Amino acid sequence: MASSSCWRCLLRPQTYASRPSAFLPSTGTTASPFLSRAVTPAIPFSTSSPYNAAKAPAKGGNISRVQAGPPRRGQKSLRIKKKSPVKATTRPPAPGERKAARKRIVLSNTNAVEVQGLKELSPETMVDAQNHGQVLGIPGPVVDQLRAVEAFKTTQAWKLFRQPSTLQTKQSLDLAQQVAKVTDGENGKRTFLRKILTGDKASGKSVLLLQAMAMAFLKGWVVISIPDAQELTIAHTAYSPLRNTEPKQYVQKAYMSELLSRTLRANQPVLNGLQLSQEHPGMPVPLQSNMTLARLAELGAKDADLAWPAFQALWTELSAAPANAPARPPVMLAIDNLAHVMRNSAYRDADFNLIHAHDLAIVNHFVKHLSGEKTLPQGGAIVAATSASNTPLTPTMTLALRQIEARAAGTPEKDLPQPSAWEPVDERVKQVFAARGGIDVHTLSKVSREEARGLLEYYAASGLLRAAVNDSLVAEKWILAGGGIVGELERGAVTMRV
Amino acid sequence: MPPRLSLLPLGRPLTILSRPIAAPTARPTIALASASVRSQNLCRGFADDKKAPVDDVPPKVGPNMDHLPHVSEEAAALGRITGEGGPELEQGTPIQEILERDQDGLKKAPKVLKDQVEPPSGPKGTRSFSTSTRRSAALTTAVEDPTVVNLEGSKFGIPEFPLPTENLLKQRYDPVVKQFTNLLMWDGKLSKAQQDMSRILSIIRTAPTPSINPARPLLPSAPPPSHLPLNPVLYLTLAIDSVAPLLRIKSMKGAAGGGVALQLPNPLNLRQRRRKAITWILEAASKRKSRGSGSGQFAQRVADEVIAVMEGRSAVWDRRNALHKLAITSRANLSFYNRRR
Repeated sequence: MASSSCWRCLLRPQTYASRPSAFLPSTGTTASPFLSRAVTPAIPFSTSSPYNAAKAPAKGGNISRVQAGPPRRGQKSLRIKKKSPVKATTRPPAPGERKAARKRIVLSNTNAVEVQGLKELSPETMVDAQNHGQVLGIPGPVVDQLRAVEAFKTTQAWKLFRQPSTLQTKQSLDLAQQVAKVTDGENGKRTFLRKILTGDKASGKSVLLLQAMAMAFLKGWVVISIPDAQELTIAHTAYSPLRNTEPKQYVQKAYMSELLSRTLRANQPVLNGLQLSQEHPGMPVPLQSNMTLARLAELGAKDADLAWPAFQALWTELSAAPANAPARPPVMLAIDNLAHVMRNSAYRDADFNLIHAHDLAIVNHFVKHLSGEKTLPQGGAIVAATSASNTPLTPTMTLALRQIEARAAGTPEKDLPQPSAWEPVDERVKQVFAARGGIDVHTLSKVSREEARGLLEYYAASGLLRAAVNDSLVAEKWILAGGGIVGELERGAVTMRV
Repeated sequence: MPPRLSLLPLGRPLTILSRPIAAPTARPTIALASASVRSQNLCRGFADDKKAPVDDVPPKVGPNMDHLPHVSEEAAALGRITGEGGPELEQGTPIQEILERDQDGLKKAPKVLKDQVEPPSGPKGTRSFSTSTRRSAALTTAVEDPTVVNLEGSKFGIPEFPLPTENLLKQRYDPVVKQFTNLLMWDGKLSKAQQDMSRILSIIRTAPTPSINPARPLLPSAPPPSHLPLNPVLYLTLAIDSVAPLLRIKSMKGAAGGGVALQLPNPLNLRQRRRKAITWILEAASKRKSRGSGSGQFAQRVADEVIAVMEGRSAVWDRRNALHKLAITSRANLSFYNRRR
């Protein structure tokens, strides 16, 4: 420890003043009122004494003993080097590179074995009951379309397999038949399906939604998809009020332009074949009369200010029935993580009140079609999936879904599930489900043993499950997967245990 | 039926029995063997390069090894010949066996014993209640595996023995995977470590086939690299075992004289070797730089390091080589152990 005391005499410097002058060094600079000579105190001990010695002025004639000689305690002293900051030798990640790595969707693993005799999803195979319990590959062009609408999620294990493939369960078979039925129409008239997919965690809701979209693409529909409703309501994208709306609606320009861009990429071949047939006074820019719908969508995708009017114009065109032009195809509206739009959003209005998600223009568009308030004359479907992992509490929607399910099961009105007295009721959400019936709530069931067997055989054929698929293995994996929860089956067979 | 209690073997070491004390073996004691037989019959030591002894020499009989059988055994043998039945040689002969020999006794025996000796042809009598139950549909479609032996009384058949190690709860993971997971663990958070391990294996599975550097040879028994990615546990094991050091350097304080430590190479066992290799890999991985964001970055770096080890790019190889070099130079110090005696 450095001390201010003199280590020779162990006295503190201030005591020099009271000492007789005989003890003091002969040279000094401090003047004192009662001493005959000026006093120079001893240099206090410190680790920097060699520096002091070196820096002392050499000239002036009056050099003290300490300054002239070598340092008393020798040349060696503790020198702590300051650590210089570590210089990065590699290039740091570019802006956005980290996020891109996090969000990257990998759809093929070249190490995985190509499954021999894997059938592909097609308009014929998707409705064929023979394929129940089998895995069907998704054809390449459809994979590109599904990627464009962001139907694949990072949490799903697509990256382990050679080709994206899905299991034909009983429910996907039913859905395929409905899609085919809507496309064909009854008595020259098409219907508009309204479906909500719910179920346990990892029961395959998002994958069934993906299958629905794949089937729609195969049947030549136009698909408009909101891959995650959360992005619309957590106030991460810009919003602005829309003129001439009552109650006030808000439009998210940047998101709309993104949505149009995704829709365009996914539906390019269909939209290229369709032309304008209506007048669009709402568009701020003049439109060519023979413009294709793809070009219209591109206008909105390129210019965020045009995105909302372009979307409205596109929707008007898609729902029109032109006299002297090819008939418009059915349209599928898909939305995942539905609960996020069945509550207040994180946006604020001018009075700093929370904006209800139904007041966001694009959400309103989807919700109107879900409730049946608006419909498409040429048919189509809206398919909404709930999520069980990242989902807010929406008691009103949960109750409404349970009531619809109970009604479908034949429960009399008086025995329907009742609202809790302690939970607030969201009237706007209640209205969506109560206004008109006809919403089909589809609770995903667990896969059967036969379906699980088909899936495990696919895993084994891909080289990812290194075991013989026999009854005992199927029984073991099926039981360990909670009796056929398909996501847990995948986790138990492929992802977690290697 | 209770197990038979045989007292005869218990008494065998006792001298009252006429049986030879030790069963004649192919390895007679030196005292019994003559010099010529001895050289032939002695078991081969590890250092001998002669052939192993041949078992054609008749067993020698010692001076007190040709006794008559025990009195009871003799009486039993006589009884068998005459058909009268001698004494029971074993304690606890089951009553069923005695009844089989003794027809008069069987007639007077209680019904329970009679049924055991001659079981009745079919179930008799009726119950007013059902003794069977209906199983759920999901379970009934189950096991029809012909390899499963269905013993009476076992509901789902008995498993094959010995049980595979992964069927034991505490050993359900591969030993290398388990050791690696435990070394990945921080603050006792095992499930987080397991998640990372799963990610590492998943990355290895999707990584391209490793190109092996001939200057950094893997273990001699390594399979071709194209087989590795689909077997990530083998990939990991091969990388770890290939780069694992064989020795560690132990410093004996003051052994070199004048307070200088003497460096002595010390061999490691398999688990120790793997531990060292895993530690090195984890150290190298923690010095790498993340190129992405979100969770799973450390797993990515560890997987990258494992792949680098496999392809011979990793600095872990240099650490191994340096350690081996040092161990070779300090091999001369091993005479230290002889000096001490």
